[in-house]
Amino acid sequence: MTAATTTYGARRRSAARELVSSIATIMTKELRSRMRGRRAFVVLTVYLAILALITYGMYLIVAPNAQNMAGGGFGGGGFGQANASALIGQSIFTALSILQIVLVCFIAPAFTAGQISLEREKQTLDLLVSTPMRPAAIVLGKLAAALAFVVLMIVAAVPITAIVLMYGGASIDDIVRQQLVLLATALLLGTVGLFYSALLKRTQAATVLTYITMLVLTLGTMLLFIFWTVVINQSDNGFGVGPVKRAPEQLLYLNPGIAMLDVVSTTEPGGFGGISGALNELRGINNFGGGVECFGDVCQPVDQFGNPIDGGGNGSSGYWWPRIGITFVVISALLALAAMRMVVPAGMRFAFGRRKRRPLVAAGPMGITDDVVAPLDDPADHDATKEQPR
Amino acid sequence: MTGIGSTIVPVVETRGLVKRYGDQLAVAGVDLVIGPGEIYGLVGPNGAGKTTTMKILATLLAPTAGEALVTGIGVTDDPLEVRRRIGYMPDFYGVYDDLRVWEYLDFFGRCYGVPANQRGPMIGELLDIVGLTEKRDSYVEALSRGMRQRLCLAHTLVHDPALLILDEPASGLDPRARVEMRDILRELRAMGKTILVSSHILPELGEMCTGVAIIDRGQVLRAGRIDEIERSLRATALLRIDLLGDETSAAAAEAWLGTEPMVGDVLRIETTDADRVRLEVPFDGPVDAQADLLRSMVAAGHRVLGYSQATSDLEEIFLKVTGQIDEQETAA
Repeated sequence: MTAATTTYGARRRSAARELVSSIATIMTKELRSRMRGRRAFVVLTVYLAILALITYGMYLIVAPNAQNMAGGGFGGGGFGQANASALIGQSIFTALSILQIVLVCFIAPAFTAGQISLEREKQTLDLLVSTPMRPAAIVLGKLAAALAFVVLMIVAAVPITAIVLMYGGASIDDIVRQQLVLLATALLLGTVGLFYSALLKRTQAATVLTYITMLVLTLGTMLLFIFWTVVINQSDNGFGVGPVKRAPEQLLYLNPGIAMLDVVSTTEPGGFGGISGALNELRGINNFGGGVECFGDVCQPVDQFGNPIDGGGNGSSGYWWPRIGITFVVISALLALAAMRMVVPAGMRFAFGRRKRRPLVAAGPMGITDDVVAPLDDPADHDATKEQPR
Repeated sequence: MTGIGSTIVPVVETRGLVKRYGDQLAVAGVDLVIGPGEIYGLVGPNGAGKTTTMKILATLLAPTAGEALVTGIGVTDDPLEVRRRIGYMPDFYGVYDDLRVWEYLDFFGRCYGVPANQRGPMIGELLDIVGLTEKRDSYVEALSRGMRQRLCLAHTLVHDPALLILDEPASGLDPRARVEMRDILRELRAMGKTILVSSHILPELGEMCTGVAIIDRGQVLRAGRIDEIERSLRATALLRIDLLGDETSAAAAEAWLGTEPMVGDVLRIETTDADRVRLEVPFDGPVDAQADLLRSMVAAGHRVLGYSQATSDLEEIFLKVTGQIDEQETAA
């Protein structure tokens, strides 16, 4: 076996290192083609330009009225100049946050919905999957590459958002929360796109389904929740009496929009207003009887009798977004695992399945032994079977 | 079968390989043994089961039944190890247009786990082998079809595999590109690679293969060296004799040949030249008798322009082999 003994790739590495290096391989390749040329820079520039323009526009709208609004504001009560400045900051923060979540909802799917189906269409996938590259590495590498750019866009907008720190009204904490929600949303929608891309043959179909899913998650869950709540309350004989029934709240844990509204609800202009009111309505907190009580900067939801709900804390914000963020991460992980299974054509799934136990005698002429067999189903963990006995 | 000693592990070995798609039998019991350093051709019409056989060997399909071993490792026992030992070029494939040539090879080098410090020299070497050195920094997009084919061939070599599985590497290439491809395969063989190559056109493979298997409808009809197959098919040699002269001299030659022993029914082939005649003469005798026939023919005054055995007409062999099956089936 003269040829087989001089294998370039003979060096063996640990499972984890191999996976990381495989992901890096896919990422490098994806980023090489994605970041090449003007497109990436144009997209980023346009994105930041839109955000900057909106920021400036918001300033132009709010600044002239800020003095008046702050003076007669909801809880500001004569702090004058300082509060006017905070009002500008809060307005800008709210506008930027909502705009960014909308943009991410539309941009993130576009980056992943074609990732695998395009390889199928261009017949490059066969070459890729006939290498020892693991499906986990292919999926995670592609996801990482797509998200890398979306993350770049999100993070690049931080300096614009940071303008609000100059005006006050929103803290660094708020910006961190906003970033977390944006990143979780990008992760979820990116994974949804990748999932459809692995599931479907055509990029077009994958793209359409990804956007439909995005709309279902944002508008669909919200409308369904409201509709459901209305219906179950109507069928109730004692309408209006006793506790108001609500649709399963978990529906809203799928909604990136709610997460972002939750983040901005404490910083919306005036401290308390339409957004936190609407969120409280969704939570079943009666805005007329109870609602939110604000003491200066600190607001907290209260029931009809004025007792704090949910242990109070930093106001109504913080109820939704952590739950939604965790839900997104979990769903993303599940979708990524599903995509790993589907990226491999049905005919060759055996390659990554459970391996038969072979006697040592069956070792190849290169002296590679296959006696370490871990009964793992997860393709991502299959690397363990490659580890050399020491 | 090729003569392989029992001590050498064949690079490819299949035993009773079967692949079924639904109720369609794509591969129906294929047995192959390919020794180290061979260029082995799989020949058959479209849909004969060549691609399926190759995909099974490339661990892209699981066989329904039977065994396929690459360097002694079962393709379903340790597919990833098999992948490290083979380079596979599918019949239809795409390339990443937006990468440069060196990046393309670098990517696949990394896919196969080639260490970074080896990838640079490896890419240079491979580009040299396939003659794309000047295209190192070009975009794959800008390559001609023949160049892409060679690039794809280079990608199969990044991990220095023992076996290359090339599915129709010359399809869609112009004659010049075909010759280049053939030269590269010869060079690779000289480097010690074992090559399994398929084609639906026999002559393409005839000149370079050490062995062929003729496949039709999922079965190996004949396997072995081309001249062996040919000899087994043809008890009588077919001589092709070109004569200078018109109708009358052709008729005279035919009459003369008719008197010779060992000569069968002479067939006159129409040619475009008015002053030339081609005869096809079935001849049932050893090689020295063939030489004697030529000598006595010239002595008899026939003006022989060309005298050759109609050998290596692989198209004909192929039709004959596949045709035999048809006859057998109609008889049964």
